[in-house]
Amino acid sequence: MLYASFDSDREYLVNKFRKPVFEEGTGVSQEEIIEHILEFADTLTLQDLPKPVIKARCFEHVCQQMFIDVNPHDDFPGFGCYDRKKRPLAPLVGRWNYEVDSTVNKERAEMCWPRNSAGLHMIWKDFDHSVPDWDAMVELGYPGLLERLEKYRKLHEEKGTLTPAVAAHFEGMKITVNALLDHLGKLIDFARARHAGNPRIEREIRCLEQLRQGPPRDFYEVLMLIYVQFYYCEHIDHFQVRSLGGNLDDLLLPFYERDLKEGRYTIEDMREFLTCFLMQWGSIDNYWGHPFYLGGTAKDGSSLYNDVSYLILDVFDELHIPTPKIQLKVAKNTPRKLLDTAFRMIRDGHSSLVFVSDDNIRKIKMCYGYSEEEARTCNVTGCYETAARGIANGTGAGHANFMKIFELIFNDGRDPATGYTVENCGALKLDEIKNFDDFFKSFLRYLDDIIEVIIKCADGNEANLHEVNPSLLYSVTALNSLVTGRDAFSNGNVYNVSSILLCGIGTAVDALMAVKKFVFEKKELTLQEFREILKNNWAGAEELRTRILLDRDKFGNGIEEVDFYAHILAHYAGRKINMRPNARKGFYAASGHCARQFISMGGKTGATPDGRLAGEEFSKNLSPTMGMDRNGVTALIKSVCTMNALDLPGDFPLDVMMHPATVQGEEGLAALRGVLYTYFAKGGVAIHFNIFDAETLKKAQVEPEKYANLQIRVCGWNVRFVELPKCEQDAYIRRAENIAE
Amino acid sequence: MAITGILLDTKRFAVHDGPGIRTAFFTKGCPLKCIWCHNPESTSPLPQTGFYKDLCRSCGSCRAVCPAAAHSFEEGQHLFDGDSCQACGKCEEVCPVSAMKLYGREVTVEEAFALALEDRDFYENSNGGVTVSGGEPLMQKEFTLSLFKALKKEKIHTALDTCAFVPQKTLEEALEVTDMFLVDFKHADSMMHKRLTGQSNELIKANLEFLSANGARIEIRIPFVPGCNDSDGNMEATGAFLGGLCIESVKLLPYHALARNKYRALRISDTMPEAESPSEEKIAAAAAILQKYGLNARSGRA
Repeated sequence: MLYASFDSDREYLVNKFRKPVFEEGTGVSQEEIIEHILEFADTLTLQDLPKPVIKARCFEHVCQQMFIDVNPHDDFPGFGCYDRKKRPLAPLVGRWNYEVDSTVNKERAEMCWPRNSAGLHMIWKDFDHSVPDWDAMVELGYPGLLERLEKYRKLHEEKGTLTPAVAAHFEGMKITVNALLDHLGKLIDFARARHAGNPRIEREIRCLEQLRQGPPRDFYEVLMLIYVQFYYCEHIDHFQVRSLGGNLDDLLLPFYERDLKEGRYTIEDMREFLTCFLMQWGSIDNYWGHPFYLGGTAKDGSSLYNDVSYLILDVFDELHIPTPKIQLKVAKNTPRKLLDTAFRMIRDGHSSLVFVSDDNIRKIKMCYGYSEEEARTCNVTGCYETAARGIANGTGAGHANFMKIFELIFNDGRDPATGYTVENCGALKLDEIKNFDDFFKSFLRYLDDIIEVIIKCADGNEANLHEVNPSLLYSVTALNSLVTGRDAFSNGNVYNVSSILLCGIGTAVDALMAVKKFVFEKKELTLQEFREILKNNWAGAEELRTRILLDRDKFGNGIEEVDFYAHILAHYAGRKINMRPNARKGFYAASGHCARQFISMGGKTGATPDGRLAGEEFSKNLSPTMGMDRNGVTALIKSVCTMNALDLPGDFPLDVMMHPATVQGEEGLAALRGVLYTYFAKGGVAIHFNIFDAETLKKAQVEPEKYANLQIRVCGWNVRFVELPKCEQDAYIRRAENIAE
Repeated sequence: MAITGILLDTKRFAVHDGPGIRTAFFTKGCPLKCIWCHNPESTSPLPQTGFYKDLCRSCGSCRAVCPAAAHSFEEGQHLFDGDSCQACGKCEEVCPVSAMKLYGREVTVEEAFALALEDRDFYENSNGGVTVSGGEPLMQKEFTLSLFKALKKEKIHTALDTCAFVPQKTLEEALEVTDMFLVDFKHADSMMHKRLTGQSNELIKANLEFLSANGARIEIRIPFVPGCNDSDGNMEATGAFLGGLCIESVKLLPYHALARNKYRALRISDTMPEAESPSEEKIAAAAAILQKYGLNARSGRA
């Protein structure tokens, strides 16, 4: 081992991105930088510089200003702009966003805001989910990227395509990379001045020097490159960096093997580097987690899992941190040992692992125009999203609220809370609805309206992404951005896909079934009576609510006539969305993932016919309403897989909750494998498992200090159970109480 | 006329009742009366209604639908007359808090078969199949074996969870359509067996010898009950007997007393021993004794 010091390093590492301490004189605070960034930007604006150059100069300014640290407890440098909630360029991006929304995008922005407030949808400019071309970065390093950039700039010059906008894009990227390299130099100088002779720091200095001069040459240098790109891009350049290294095991393998062969590092040495590397994100501890993925399939059909895969999983298991989160690409070639290793970890509470189907991703992507190679080597770019490696950027352009539609139907298009009214969408007034067909058609008309407005507003937003936040440190890695001279995040990639995320399909099916059965079949109440009940949030109708909640016709129970509607809704929305051209020279894609919107949109949605109370969350991703799947996991999977993953090419995720008793022992592992294989065989794409029992969760609620490490998979990320609000904890407990042993 | 069975429960995604992912059907009726029985609702062959008083909110929904007037309310107290109950299940359907529970529904072989087919993909991806358990499934021989016959036509793996206290001829019929036998073995000493289960064990032993001699795949399941059958002496005797047979594996299933509320709900006397669930160490020690006899024995907990 190189240092064997993790126990004494841990405190520094945990606090590095939470409450770091910096040496006075190395810079100024993050707060001070953010306070004055607009003043600095103003001096550039006055010079009439284009936005990419202004942003690049601001990037350079932040690098020059912020605190730094190179610490003997760490293999990676520390930075003053550690708090992602106060990213230094946020005021600048905010200003440009306001400018766009009050001029060229004014009409659409004004259409969007009241509807966002009413909870019909959530439309925003998404600057998350980009994945740099890690292969190019590892091959070229920053100096090589600069050379490549210069080569393409000259080509544009020769071809006469170096317009002012293209020139500004190239200039912005160049300033940014040079600023980054200068800052690495500053770190090196600091390290030499403070810690000369410390062997760990000397190694770090050599590593940083190499990145200033060329591409990484060994295991440690690759990890450093990923960390550096992540930090400067996400924390300063204001673009989230997803998938740290892509499939990290495959990226690291040649370096791992070479370092072992040449005696540079032992496996234990590399384990130490990985421990420190993963702890960076353990310290950042973003709510939504940070992903990378493992495995995949090589061109010859063999599995890409290797020794590094197991090393990473082992280190991750030891650290027991909720983030980074790791996706595992699974195919028929995936070794059983790998699956069992992962399942054991999940069973032991390390559930920040997601399984994604290599074969189904490939099939879906090829149906949407990817080549076999592009589809097979897809990056997993966020929680479950996928995009072609190095040549694609996907955005989450908007979320559609399926549950809000019920409020609109019962109130003739009016959102009761805000008064916003949807007009002329073709839906019937409540009094005009005579049968379930009328009701269902009205549901679809409101859905049409929501989807069409999302697309209209998202087009307005996405035509201007590069005007709001030019991407520089990301674009420099994307070859197509250099070829076209366009911003890689906005419209300069080969594939520029915008996802529309569908929220609450499962609960919407339950609500439709409640109306169908209780209003039109059993005729227990009229729609007008139902309207009053919902308006009163079920007060006085508790008995009816209980019967509706207990009714069998709920999505997730393998009931054909119920699941039929889930298929219809997903297919209908998918047909309206998929392959529609977006404003980024790409297309829209429907997605079954809803991030945290199942909670926040739930907060903006009144009581609904399924028995849901006003403000309560609704079903997340493609899962049923919490607690409503009562027939076990096989029925659940059958229900979910009635939806066709080809209708939801953005992503197709399922959350499965299981009781520990059902998955204990070798039989339990075999059962988990069986569930996984069957879900994938039925067309499912992503699946994650929460394995716990209600009793444990209740104990954790009462004695949080004893369960500090109990993790829960929320949506596309893990959190500590004890840190959830009580209402969310209660929802998990209710759900867990329904799981059979 | 369609062949029917009285089913206590159906469990999809059953993981510990035979290999792989399975659908398990639990039939009603058992020839043994084990004092530790954790499924007392399985003993009687007839449908029964359980009343979980602690859950009841005295809302009266059950009274409104009961054809036998088995539900009455006095001073807000729900009184349930189990003797009048016709076990029709209507009160269970309307109870908003699941305080009423029907144990035993008549199901046709076709219905059970159709349900079993629902999870066929899962069986195929896990080498699983269908288990009929109980009670004693061979007390409803016609139903159980007809279901197995239909499943075998579809090449679905079948497992029979039996106490083996059945006529040998019945087992002989079962052999034709059963891929695996999960056989309970409760005590090696016949007198003790009779004291604990109400029946001696000679027939069970003979049946096990018969199954073994006829090449059946057998997993032995020993309910490991403190103070009843957990002595080293019994383990030695059990090992000596089973060691002479062709047994694939032996599982020691730790006793637990979680079923007491079911005795109360069914208004039958609770015979469950006052004992803690045995420790893993204790089970491992018992397994070690069995292993001396060449048996692949392990805890059923893991």
